[in-house]
Amino acid sequence: MTLDNIPSAAPSLARLIQELNRLPGIGPKSAQRLAYHIIRLPDQEAYDLAEAIGTVKQKIVFCQECQNLTDSSPCSICTNPQRHQDQICVVEDPLDVLALERTHCYLGLYHVLHGVISPMNGIGPDQLKLKELFSRLSSGQVKELIIATNPTLEGEATAMYISRQLTPTDLTLTHLARGLPVGGSLEYSDELTLSRAFQGRQQV
Amino acid sequence: MAAPRTYRTEALSLRKMPLGEADILLTLYTRDDGKLRAVAKGARKTTSKLVGHFEPLTLNRLALSKGRNLDIVTQAQVIDNFSTLKSSLTGLTQGLYIAELLDGFGSEANPNPELYQLSLEALRAVERDLASEMPLRFFELHLLRVSGFMPELYHCVECRRTLEPGQHRFSPDGGGTLCLECQPPEFQPPGASVRNLSLSTLKVLRMLHRTPLPEIPDLKMGQPVALELKSVLGATVRYWLDKEIRSNSFLEHLQHLPDSPVYF
Repeated sequence: MTLDNIPSAAPSLARLIQELNRLPGIGPKSAQRLAYHIIRLPDQEAYDLAEAIGTVKQKIVFCQECQNLTDSSPCSICTNPQRHQDQICVVEDPLDVLALERTHCYLGLYHVLHGVISPMNGIGPDQLKLKELFSRLSSGQVKELIIATNPTLEGEATAMYISRQLTPTDLTLTHLARGLPVGGSLEYSDELTLSRAFQGRQQV
Repeated sequence: MAAPRTYRTEALSLRKMPLGEADILLTLYTRDDGKLRAVAKGARKTTSKLVGHFEPLTLNRLALSKGRNLDIVTQAQVIDNFSTLKSSLTGLTQGLYIAELLDGFGSEANPNPELYQLSLEALRAVERDLASEMPLRFFELHLLRVSGFMPELYHCVECRRTLEPGQHRFSPDGGGTLCLECQPPEFQPPGASVRNLSLSTLKVLRMLHRTPLPEIPDLKMGQPVALELKSVLGATVRYWLDKEIRSNSFLEHLQHLPDSPVYF
């Protein structure tokens, strides 16, 4: 959407609509609704929103250890002495760290790859934070590497690539279990998920 | 009588993209309609009955309903998910290479059952021998054939004379093989991608052209012939596709990696 496509809006409003339209999942109509909502906001709330965007762009950096987004590097997880320093969980993006933290069942460290290997989209190992991961592993401190990439084709390709890059050492390499989701249904499950669920069955 | 709003088909998933909050936009190659873009509603929810059916390189029996812009997948049943191929990084990347070419050469609302069958045969051949690149070469040559771009392998494309045994030249944009009289080895027309073609490579190309995929013998080719074959077919495919094949660079990267064990 260009400014010319919003002829009836004032230039400053048209610019706001155009900027909002750049955001993922926001189409032209949603952009207009959001822009008019921002106009109706109390001044302070609108300035707070603008200031929050400015601050996040200024302060957020990659953690030098886990590559997660943080405003102080190393991040609070990497510097927490209560966390197990010999476990690293590899995830695709920062939202996965939040999802795993909500479970309260993992107390190790993380490593965020910021993507997955996707040959068809031209994303190879060099575009991910893999060099940083291998450099962390070379210290010898880490005893277990948990691969928590999504169970998609690209996620599996990334997991296989990491395992192929590592030579057998004292390091235990694991990945999250594959199988049936809570609330799912056997009848509608695809055969790959069901066969993985069988492979990973546990004694009751 | 109005056309039915629902239909069934067999389709190979090529790509998937997130759409909206929980939907997936699929690129499929179907037996009956050629390339097809369709939406799987809610398929990103872990409890969706469609979840897990649309990973790239999964063959499904689908029920779809006609939508205003895009058709909607209502039911899916996996026929083959090529699990052997997906258990190896090289096999998986070879499969994605086939999917990328199928996506590039396939066109919407233009059924090509021969191309559909060829793709499935090539994927199954990759599964049978994950170390061999011969299924990819077979797929490239026959992809060109069933798409109407088969390079000439028996006559010179300039003078139309039958090729005599010996060294030849090959022009991806000129349509195939050239004799040395029409295109001397030292002559390189500006901007053209003419390259040398040895007799051994020409023989392999002709054998790939004539022989069905399951009957192709386990050829012991020298490295120069294998490289020349790859270069000739790759250049021709890239010329007709008019863009780089992205998965090829990762495939080449894997060839330089040590074959260390896969842990899981």
